[in-house]
Amino acid sequence: MTAQTRSKPKVVTTGGYDEISSRMTRVLLYLIAFAVLAMIIIPVAFAVLGGFRSMGQLSENPVSLPNPWVFTNYADVLTLGTFWKQFSNSALIAFLTTIFVLPAASLAAFVLSRYSFRGRESIYTLFTFGLLFPVTVAIVPLFVVIRQINLLDNPLGVALPQAAFALPLSIVIMRPFFRSIPAELEEAAAIDGCGPFRFYRSIMLPLSRPVLSTIAVIAIVTSWNSFLLPLVVLSDSTGWTLPIGVTNFSTQYTTDTARVLAFTTLSMVPALLFYLVAERQIVSGLSAGAVKG
Amino acid sequence: MGKENEHVRYTLKRLFMLLAVLALVATACGSDSEDTTTTEAPITIRWWHIQNSDPGLTTWQNVADEFMAAHPNVTIEITVQENEAFKSTLQTNLQAGDPPDLFQSWGGGGLAEQVDAGFVQDITEASASWIDNLSAAGNSLFNIDGVQYGAPFNLGAVGFFYNTALFEEAGIAAPPATWEELLTDVQLLKDAGITPISVAAGDKWPAMFWWAYLAVRIAGADGVAQAVADGSWDAEPFVKAGEELKRLIDMDPFQPGFLAAPWDGAEGSASTMNGRDTAMVLMGQWAPGTIRSNSADGTGIDDVIGWFPFPVVEGGAGVATDVFGGGDGFVVGINAPPETVDFLGYISSLDVANRLGESGGTLPVVKGSEGSVTDPQMVAVVEYLAAGTYMQLYLDQVTPPAVGAAINDAVQELFAGVSTPEQVAGKIAAAARGE
Amino acid sequence: MTSVRVAARTRRTPGQRRWPMIIGFLAPALLIYLLFVIYPIAQGIRYSGYDWNGLKPLTDWVGFENFRKIFADSSFIGAMKHNAVILVLSLALQIPFALGLAVLLNQRLRGRAFMRMMFFAPYVVSEVVTAVVWRQLMRPSGFLDHVMSGVGAEGLTQEWLANPRIVLYSVFFVVTWKYFGFHMILLLAGLQQIPAELREAAAIDGATFRQTFRHVTLPLLGPTLRISVFLSIIGSLQLFDLVWVMTGGGPINASNTMATYMIDWGFRRLQIGYASAVSVIVFGISLVVALAYQRWVLRRDVKGALTTMGA
Repeated sequence: MTAQTRSKPKVVTTGGYDEISSRMTRVLLYLIAFAVLAMIIIPVAFAVLGGFRSMGQLSENPVSLPNPWVFTNYADVLTLGTFWKQFSNSALIAFLTTIFVLPAASLAAFVLSRYSFRGRESIYTLFTFGLLFPVTVAIVPLFVVIRQINLLDNPLGVALPQAAFALPLSIVIMRPFFRSIPAELEEAAAIDGCGPFRFYRSIMLPLSRPVLSTIAVIAIVTSWNSFLLPLVVLSDSTGWTLPIGVTNFSTQYTTDTARVLAFTTLSMVPALLFYLVAERQIVSGLSAGAVKG
Repeated sequence: MGKENEHVRYTLKRLFMLLAVLALVATACGSDSEDTTTTEAPITIRWWHIQNSDPGLTTWQNVADEFMAAHPNVTIEITVQENEAFKSTLQTNLQAGDPPDLFQSWGGGGLAEQVDAGFVQDITEASASWIDNLSAAGNSLFNIDGVQYGAPFNLGAVGFFYNTALFEEAGIAAPPATWEELLTDVQLLKDAGITPISVAAGDKWPAMFWWAYLAVRIAGADGVAQAVADGSWDAEPFVKAGEELKRLIDMDPFQPGFLAAPWDGAEGSASTMNGRDTAMVLMGQWAPGTIRSNSADGTGIDDVIGWFPFPVVEGGAGVATDVFGGGDGFVVGINAPPETVDFLGYISSLDVANRLGESGGTLPVVKGSEGSVTDPQMVAVVEYLAAGTYMQLYLDQVTPPAVGAAINDAVQELFAGVSTPEQVAGKIAAAARGE
Repeated sequence: MTSVRVAARTRRTPGQRRWPMIIGFLAPALLIYLLFVIYPIAQGIRYSGYDWNGLKPLTDWVGFENFRKIFADSSFIGAMKHNAVILVLSLALQIPFALGLAVLLNQRLRGRAFMRMMFFAPYVVSEVVTAVVWRQLMRPSGFLDHVMSGVGAEGLTQEWLANPRIVLYSVFFVVTWKYFGFHMILLLAGLQQIPAELREAAAIDGATFRQTFRHVTLPLLGPTLRISVFLSIIGSLQLFDLVWVMTGGGPINASNTMATYMIDWGFRRLQIGYASAVSVIVFGISLVVALAYQRWVLRRDVKGALTTMGA
């Protein structure tokens, strides 16, 4: 397809964005965005500020600002060695999960979306099973498997199953994206002597950066927050991840909510930062070059 | 001739040497674990407990360290987890056939299921030398069909913790001794503009306490034991218990949002007591601690707090000395080495018990350790326990988990007004009979 | 304008040369998937025919008895209804909302990057914290009630989480709060893949924003949108984490979902066989929905850039 440039386009477009020109509409949009923002910021602020209060303060005065400001919650969490150890464990497992899931899922999604072969839809349906079956009931046989291959108390014992369970969602999301890349590209590449794997690696993947980044973000956030699987696999406390670490602020009878809020606010930061970084990839958009006919 | 003497002396020498060696061996091998000096193979004891905060955390670590010092060949590996996390991890480990050597237990029906599945060890003989130093009521929690599987370290009772100042304000002279008096007092409190009762019906089990105590008071110890054994929870006394409870519920005596209120937490029933506009809460002995930790200054309502036992129901088969409560203990895993029982015996020693009592987190069960408890409210509970004639374990623990959950659910429905006392009793019975 | 050529589905050669490649590409995924997902699921399904408390040996075969009991239990039927309510509300409210925000964030608004991050933040916050925070905000005389009194809507305050009649809707609100960001970034990625030239061309041809949206953006966003809807449906059927930590399914089962019902029976009451049967039912329902959806809705996404390579 070609886009004939004419003189004086009415609408200014930059890097692929529409422009809504009406000013009133823009104001309205800002208002809506602001309202949504408020609904998000208030609870998050509550969580962040809650860490600056004591548990008793939270109980007696749920709605007010810290008074007095309690710094020990955040300070203790930051200086306590266990937070950083758990942090690095969480990071390692999230990283491992992602580097397993991205290649495995994209390779599978590639052939499932662009090649027709016998059993293709059955295999795709098989992959969707993982989305449909409630995982928590499978935890016991899963635990037995991990135990049998000797991966207990091992980050891989968490990362590999997590990657496996992330496959369905990843493949389901990737398939339409991969499909939308035109066949002509591949044929053109073939003419240039490029086999399927080269095509996959050198053309397909770079073009799919938005969806790959999306999958990576989802995989990392899911792994970061996952609780049950690490709990049963990692019994040695030196291997614990952050979500397990937060349970230490609860006892049989009571929970130090302020500590919990401080701890979880700090654990949330890396995931958010990662999203910020990946977000550029997600929204950078396709430079339309390769897709133009 | 000389040679003969020499020969005799030689033989005697050898005899002496033999005796000496024998004596050495006897002392070395015959000693009990308290002062061994043998070079035995190294033993590891895997110990899972849930005291994940101080004072319990440090106390248990010290206890383990002391035992290891006295027994150099023993290594104790401690895994500390939070309560709910512990239940999940224990479950998966048991299902994979790998029980820890010594682990937290609440006794009762949950333990019975573990016994059935063959995951815990019979320690009746191994513990015989020290088990009677512990409270009989506590021991009974870990005794199934005459076989001892573990030992308690903490025993408590459920009772009323109340704000004495508010009672005064409402003109209540003394805590109620009968159920009718309690209902009257509730009305007096309401008239004085005070919320009478704080209950965490959202967590369900605190609501269950009400029904359970009424059941114990009306059906009596035997009645309840009968129902636990054969599932006859729909018998007349239990329906009556529901009816009495309904009379209270119909008076609308609870705090706002009670149906979703948890025990702990800022919106919880414990926290409500700190508002000083709610008069009493029916709860286990840990209540003052939770109330304190939910207060801004950490003292809770210690300046006005009091305790009284659950009143008697006139005409009921139960007596005032029937105690409802439960405790914590440790049971021994099926694959545990014998030293584990010795360690458990050490945990159950008077010295350790006194330390637990002093630390304030526990009500110890070793006879003679009562004096270590200093908090006046705790002393009241300990005295109540000591005078108790019968101990009824929490209903959701004495029965298997499935029945326990059914009891909690049904009672919550009573509080919500969606089930009648007959229906409540019926549902529990149905669950108990496995329908 | 050229259109994307649909590849001919003829098989020119038996294509035996392709198989090694296809198997090679699928192998890594299939390997870990079969080991860590399919096998445990199969075992889980197996348990559903037993009366098993997870501890004693697996001996009490009961066949379909568990299934019969499940459908005879009114709290399970109630849970199913709750799932249905959440599903309908999600499709009617959550997806359009996420779509609207994605379009919004696609505009050149100031502070767009900040907004994107903030809108995504709830998804990053763990379920535990979400539950703790919202339980706080929604408690009697909590923040929400304060705000409503502040704007004069005092009469409308409810016991958001204690009233069995409205607790499900309160939960839905929090679920939306948590997950709209997920759908938003999905749809945003989809929007980003639509070449700018198409919309430029439409604009140059004189189309208004609304027309461009309806005739260019929306159709091209179709595949992504359909995936988003699909995930929303499946998510509604499997909803567990948030409900569990916020209300535990209560009060009196008023906010129970099939998944919380399952976990309650499996992990709390230790009726693993029964809980496995519930999971089979949830799986069955999800499977039927997924297959139907795939057949009728996703079908046309199948046609497309099928390669002619080695076809």
